[in-house]
Amino acid sequence: MRGALVVAIVLVALSFLALTASILLGKAWRELRDKRRRRRRRALEPLVLDYAHGGQVSILAALGGGVTAGDEPVVQAILLDHVQRVRGVERDRLRRAFDELGLVDRYVVGLSSPRWWRRAEAAEHLGLAGAARAAPRLAAALEDDVPEVRLRAAKALGAVGGRTAVAPLLRALAAPNRWSTIRIADVLADMGPKVLEELQDAFPSLAAHAKLAALDIIARIHPVESVPWLLARLSDGGPDVRARAAHALGVIGAPDASPSLRAALVDPEWPVRAMAAKALGRIHDVESIPGLRAALMDRDWWVRANAAVALRRLGPSGIDALEGALADEDPYARHQACLMLEEAGVLDRRVAQLVAPGSAGVAAEWVVARFVESGLTGRLREIAATQADERVRLEVARLLGAPAAAESAR
Amino acid sequence: MAAAKRILVAEDDPVTRRFVVSLLEECGYEVLVAEDGEHAVATAISVRPDLLVSDLVMPYRDGYEVLRAIRNDPRVAGLPVLILSMRDREEDIVRGFEQGADEYVVKPFNARELVARVRKLLEPRRS
Repeated sequence: MRGALVVAIVLVALSFLALTASILLGKAWRELRDKRRRRRRRALEPLVLDYAHGGQVSILAALGGGVTAGDEPVVQAILLDHVQRVRGVERDRLRRAFDELGLVDRYVVGLSSPRWWRRAEAAEHLGLAGAARAAPRLAAALEDDVPEVRLRAAKALGAVGGRTAVAPLLRALAAPNRWSTIRIADVLADMGPKVLEELQDAFPSLAAHAKLAALDIIARIHPVESVPWLLARLSDGGPDVRARAAHALGVIGAPDASPSLRAALVDPEWPVRAMAAKALGRIHDVESIPGLRAALMDRDWWVRANAAVALRRLGPSGIDALEGALADEDPYARHQACLMLEEAGVLDRRVAQLVAPGSAGVAAEWVVARFVESGLTGRLREIAATQADERVRLEVARLLGAPAAAESAR
Repeated sequence: MAAAKRILVAEDDPVTRRFVVSLLEECGYEVLVAEDGEHAVATAISVRPDLLVSDLVMPYRDGYEVLRAIRNDPRVAGLPVLILSMRDREEDIVRGFEQGADEYVVKPFNARELVARVRKLLEPRRS
């Protein structure tokens, strides 16, 4: 019994010793390896950069004809570090180096690794290497079970670019996960105008949420050549599609879209009306003033708010329309007009004109009186307390119907 | 033979720093480095380079502070400064110019564009 106990203690002690030794040896080995790699990097990096700057026609020539197994991770790290920091010819050369060194083939194999992080890393590296020939394999990785792999594959496809990358990304756009859709939409938007043709062609077959993402992508790319296609979407059966199309037209700022957007101000669905109002403001379409003026009385607050913002953006004629709306029978229209005129600084300007002679003073008094009637008098009270010109303070106090305030101001 | 123009590169990221240094040396310039904003200002004042290529995000003093310090010091107030930054928002670029930058290049950068802008800043001013 005692002998067995001693044997057990010795075994445990030996196990601890072996474990400690393996940890120490592992650490020492890693430190030695890292030290060697740092040393090799100092030697190899200038050669890689000389190749990147065009001093050598190939990376293998730059590295003296070949790369040893020990140097390969060092060269790979150098290429991965630098390829992310540059554009243009230098990046093209660095990307070619991945292929020349056989790294692209290795990354493609890595996409089939049983370990998900290896697959994710391989996808990311293929993107950095700009490996266009790996596009079909990256497209297949968009179906991976692990979201991180799918996302990195999508980013890599975006980085690889070219039309081969667009179709699989469009299919992935229809993924049921909203978060994936948003991130893939980011990738497609970053790819720019080259995605437009396929995006528009694929549009009818996309799922509802993917259609909305597609319209947002077009808005972010904001290409003028997509205006006719977007105008056609204003007649789509889906109200969200119509609303996003109106938004995209506003972002593009296409004057040709104004008549259709004016018509959309009376769309039966409020999101469409709201987006149409916003778009007309962005396009600076002064002919839309009557429609926007009417939209100030819309039954939905978002439409009213966007119409007021749009009128403000239309400059002096829009501001005139907002001032005209101060006398509107509709309390919503008056309220929105007050809010926007105050925000635009018009109220302050009108207050300063209260003591002006002639029609300017009369017009200013009319505007201030409408603000008082609306009950939105917070800013007026601030002015009555802080305005430097005593005559203006007294006028504001009088219009606020506060004789005591007027007296104290006096 | 004229002496090579001297360029101070202020960049805390070692990889970018090495790339920029190798690129500018390849073009025949003499390149000095600073790894933070504090060091960049001190080196600019003591060495008086012909051009400063500066990152914006750096330890101790960011690129904007470096620009302010340079523009407020009569010894180096006229030093041409090229900002090389990842910050690509309009307001960052405008702020860079407002603080006195002569050029602004966004990372990832095109090496030939960077060299062209450096050359433009180093060539004698046309009257």
